[in-house]
Amino acid sequence: MSKLKSKHDWKNERLGLTMIGASLLVIGLIIALMFHYQRTAREDAINAQGVSLARVLSGMDYAELVPAPGQRGILHAIGYRQDDADFAYAAIVDTSGALLAEVASPGTIIPKIQPSAEPVSWLGTRTVTLGAKEVNEFYAPVFQDGILSGHLRLGYFKPSFGPSYEQLPFLATLALPIFLLTPLFYLLIRREVKPLRQANDEIEGLLREGSFQKVDISASGELGEFVTNFNGFIELTNARIKELESDQTRLLTSTKLLTYKKSRVEAILEGFPETVLVMDESGIVNFANGKTRTLLGMPAEEILGRKAEEWCEHPEILAYLSHCTGGGAGRYASQSVEFSPVNAPEKTISLMAYPLFSPQDASAVFGSLLVFRDVTLEILAKRSRGEFVAHVAHELKTPLNTLALYSESLQGESGESEEFRVEATNVISDEVERLSDLINNLLSITKIEMGSLGIERKRVRLRELLEDSFETVSRGAASQTMKFELDLPHDLSAVAVDKDLLRIAINNLLTNAVKYNKSDGTVTLSAEETDQTIWISVADTGIGIAPEEKDRIFDKFYRSDSGEVRERAGHGLGLSLANDIVKLHNGSLSVESKLNAGSEFVIGLWKDSTTIQQAI
Amino acid sequence: MKTVLIVDDEPVVRRVLKLALEQARYEVFCASNGEEALALVRDSQPDVLITDIEMPRMSGETLCKKLCGELPERKFPIFVVTSVTAIEHREWSRDLPNVMFLEKPISARKLLASLKDYFSGTPAQEAC
Repeated sequence: MSKLKSKHDWKNERLGLTMIGASLLVIGLIIALMFHYQRTAREDAINAQGVSLARVLSGMDYAELVPAPGQRGILHAIGYRQDDADFAYAAIVDTSGALLAEVASPGTIIPKIQPSAEPVSWLGTRTVTLGAKEVNEFYAPVFQDGILSGHLRLGYFKPSFGPSYEQLPFLATLALPIFLLTPLFYLLIRREVKPLRQANDEIEGLLREGSFQKVDISASGELGEFVTNFNGFIELTNARIKELESDQTRLLTSTKLLTYKKSRVEAILEGFPETVLVMDESGIVNFANGKTRTLLGMPAEEILGRKAEEWCEHPEILAYLSHCTGGGAGRYASQSVEFSPVNAPEKTISLMAYPLFSPQDASAVFGSLLVFRDVTLEILAKRSRGEFVAHVAHELKTPLNTLALYSESLQGESGESEEFRVEATNVISDEVERLSDLINNLLSITKIEMGSLGIERKRVRLRELLEDSFETVSRGAASQTMKFELDLPHDLSAVAVDKDLLRIAINNLLTNAVKYNKSDGTVTLSAEETDQTIWISVADTGIGIAPEEKDRIFDKFYRSDSGEVRERAGHGLGLSLANDIVKLHNGSLSVESKLNAGSEFVIGLWKDSTTIQQAI
Repeated sequence: MKTVLIVDDEPVVRRVLKLALEQARYEVFCASNGEEALALVRDSQPDVLITDIEMPRMSGETLCKKLCGELPERKFPIFVVTSVTAIEHREWSRDLPNVMFLEKPISARKLLASLKDYFSGTPAQEAC
């Protein structure tokens, strides 16, 4: 602040000094001119005076001019009368230049000059140097009775440049007002300028603070007008700023909204389980969701802003994507393309490109949406479906084969044998039953796996169900020597299960126990109850299961390669179905077995119906 | 009398075919899987081999390949009984000489007809 102030003061002082200087200059100039004028005027006056005096004196009588000794001539009178400083001397000289009469100002010695003999030069003026001064000498001839007797010499000092003492008061009177006027003007100006300075200070203050407020100074005249206008300008600016600020706020809000919406959309795209890319018409990827790493093996940064050739190595994909660039929705492939990524060759990824239509113009395509899906499981499922169908076909053809052979044989020679007819009829009837069982099993399995099997939960008295199945199977067993044992607790709790399905499962286990048993073996059906579970066990003393096959026996269509097993007819679906049914009830099916000794299959069921319900 | 070796894991199939062939005056031997069949062939070559494909221990395909490998001058034909009709499942037999296919369900009548054609020299047809 002090620096500022001193800057101001210094400016002001400069102004003052300038004014003083200027006024001094003006004074000096005036004085100089005055002196010059004065001198010129004096010179002219002296000239006139000198010339006229010289003439007058020249015309006078010699006797008056040159006094008799002891008397004063006219020269003396002139000399005493001339009491101005200009008078140098007055002298009469003879024709040889010798002084005849003289009067001189004090301290002045009349220079000796040889007068000229030419009459032309008897009258005139000349400059004579007298020491440091210059003298204007006026000379004229003196005649006595018409004869030149001498010369008159009048010398006047040339007026010097400069003030004379009489002039000093005048000069002082001149200088003083001027000197007085100067500060007066200075003060006046300062007073006028002060409000301007104030205004300036205020504006500077406003600028520094960065705010826009009105300037508060009172001033009159043009400055007052200026201040008023300035304040008006400030008001206008303030209003405008407010407008802009509110515009900006609105803009900010709508930008925030846009950003929010955009990030929502991006979040939606990010949420896709698939990898989603957006490609523009020239083939540059300008959006990639975060799933690129899993399916494409690259982070999104490596794909963004690049064309397909730069991040993709598969020629099929490049060929597929080439349809997407170059505009026009017509060239898009209607199907997806599949490939295996380099970093995960066991996976299969499918890529489908969709044209993105511009919202303004439905026929214009502004880019493509690329969706990558991991279809590995789909393909596996398709394959296993295919395998399933092949298996089913095979399983169906085998009994059909038998039926065909026998029925054909019946029509031929063999049919004539009664024995053969009996055999054939039995076989055909068995095969038909087998076939029908197979078909039922297949249907059940398919329904369970498709989830379309309607489960009916009812509280079932397990004891009855188990006894029923046991009865059916033991009666139907072909071998007479096989033993059947039933071991059920007296009061088995009722459980909420699907009666029909559970019956199928128990039956399958029992028929297996019979089928894979020795002809004099034993089949045991037992049950046990704990706090939360019921255990149902089907045990046999049959051929058993090899340890390495224990896990596979529940696979659909799986039958052991061992001769013992293959000898016995079967489709390999019984255990698979039983397992599915038990799983539907959220139960467990496990097996313990020893080759050649026998196997035991145990079903575990939850007593608590909610647990079962959760599963079903 | 011409000998026929039937290889099939289904006892029913073996029984019926044996019956039919014996009635047509063929001498019939049976094997329930490829291993048994191979042993029998090494013992004495039959005049015809009829085999199923899907068998335990050694499949019909393996059996054929092994026979062709072991007996480059095999004279007897091999009839393969298969339940799959697709051509690509027969690709393996392309370079094996004298291998023909019969489709399930086997018709004993058609089998006999094929054998008759083969032995009488008429060009073998893809039966069924």
